[in-house]
Amino acid sequence: MPEKEKKKERKIEAPECGYHLNQIYFYLTQGCNLKCRHCWIAPKYQTEETTWPALDFDLFKDIVAQGMELGLSGVKLTGGEPLIHPDIEGILDYLPETGLRLTIETNGTKCSPEIVEKILRNRSPFVSVSLDAPEAETHEWVRGVPGCFEAALEGVRNLVRAGLRPQIIMSVMRRNADGMRALVELAERENAESVKFNLVTPTARGERMAKSGETLSIEELIDAGYWVENTLAPASGIRVVHSHPVAFRPLNKIFTKPDGRCGIFGILGVLGNGKYALCGIGETVPDLVFGHAATDRLADVWNRNPVLNDIRKGLPSDLEGICNDCLMKHMCLGSCVAMNYYRSKDLFAPHWYCDLAREAGLFPPSRIRPGSASDAAAASR
Amino acid sequence: MKDLERPVANPEVVLREEFDDWAVLFDPDSGEAYGLDPVSVFVWRLLDGDHTPPEILEKLREACEDGIPDEAPEHLSAFIEDLKSKGLAGHAEQL
Repeated sequence: MPEKEKKKERKIEAPECGYHLNQIYFYLTQGCNLKCRHCWIAPKYQTEETTWPALDFDLFKDIVAQGMELGLSGVKLTGGEPLIHPDIEGILDYLPETGLRLTIETNGTKCSPEIVEKILRNRSPFVSVSLDAPEAETHEWVRGVPGCFEAALEGVRNLVRAGLRPQIIMSVMRRNADGMRALVELAERENAESVKFNLVTPTARGERMAKSGETLSIEELIDAGYWVENTLAPASGIRVVHSHPVAFRPLNKIFTKPDGRCGIFGILGVLGNGKYALCGIGETVPDLVFGHAATDRLADVWNRNPVLNDIRKGLPSDLEGICNDCLMKHMCLGSCVAMNYYRSKDLFAPHWYCDLAREAGLFPPSRIRPGSASDAAAASR
Repeated sequence: MKDLERPVANPEVVLREEFDDWAVLFDPDSGEAYGLDPVSVFVWRLLDGDHTPPEILEKLREACEDGIPDEAPEHLSAFIEDLKSKGLAGHAEQL
């Protein structure tokens, strides 16, 4: 029986903490070849002349091997920009041997036919390419590097030509919000698999944008989400997803097409410098860094880290504010614990989007727990 | 489930309808919330202790322009049993 089949057959007992490690998010590089003004990771700008640390390839393999003992079934390669990692070809050649599912988040500019061919050899590859507008001027205003629009589009085309239809991700902000429909039309023409509209999170560079009024208000965000779910998506020939919290999604989407929920109980992040973290938030929040792969065994971090165990014990029962009063909390789990902690230094603080919606009186009343404080507040408006 | 039984929704359970005819069903005892599709909402409203399952099916047939599938009786039975197993419905004398 081939090695891969043996691994599929092997049943991994639940680790000591009770949760399998399903997926590792590898933030492969601390540098990026673009300068996106909204990036919540805020990597350093990398050129041919100036490079920044990237995760050591041997360490990567060691982490993967340890992860498989804990039930690892997939990896996400992100960054920075994963495809500028100096050993990206080696990584892509290595991963098929593991049988792990591969997900890549890329700006698309380095998605050459050769790289795509290597991606395709992996198990169930899923690639998302960021395009923040259907035209160069706005996309490059967001991403900060001339020529990156055509390069990203070529990356999309290389993927499609090879039979791997990517998801196109657009981060919605004031400058590009009018282009959402046109972006979907572009994605349809280019034969992308889907479009996902991301929120600009008020973290790192996104926080600066929010303070300077470059992001949409909560009223505008909610309107845009409603429009995407009920007008744009049904009219589109491809799948269109909006990453607003579960409370804002139509029930028919929640129960028929579950999408985009953070699998918080089964994931761990590895940063470009080799540190273990909740996710990429570790680049900006030291409290959510859990150790270093060079010195700490993954099993020890996964099973015994107090923050991870607090999350396991406290979600969703310890969620606060509107999140505690939300009928969707068991599936939403606070939407993004990392963002909640960044904002409030509290793992169980309410999600910024839902909290702002509640303050504005815009949180969906049908999703509020009857008899809760939020229910009373909504009734008194 | 017998055809003559008249299921009734647990009066403590809250139905919160939404704009697209789906609804959230909330059980205050357990804190659990469930999503109901439009057909389930239609059935839920008839769990009033006055309608037998065949009568509910007949009303469903009248309401659906395209008719109902052949498996509808089994689906209805399974749905009501599921509600009962979660404490969301029962028979009048149970609640």
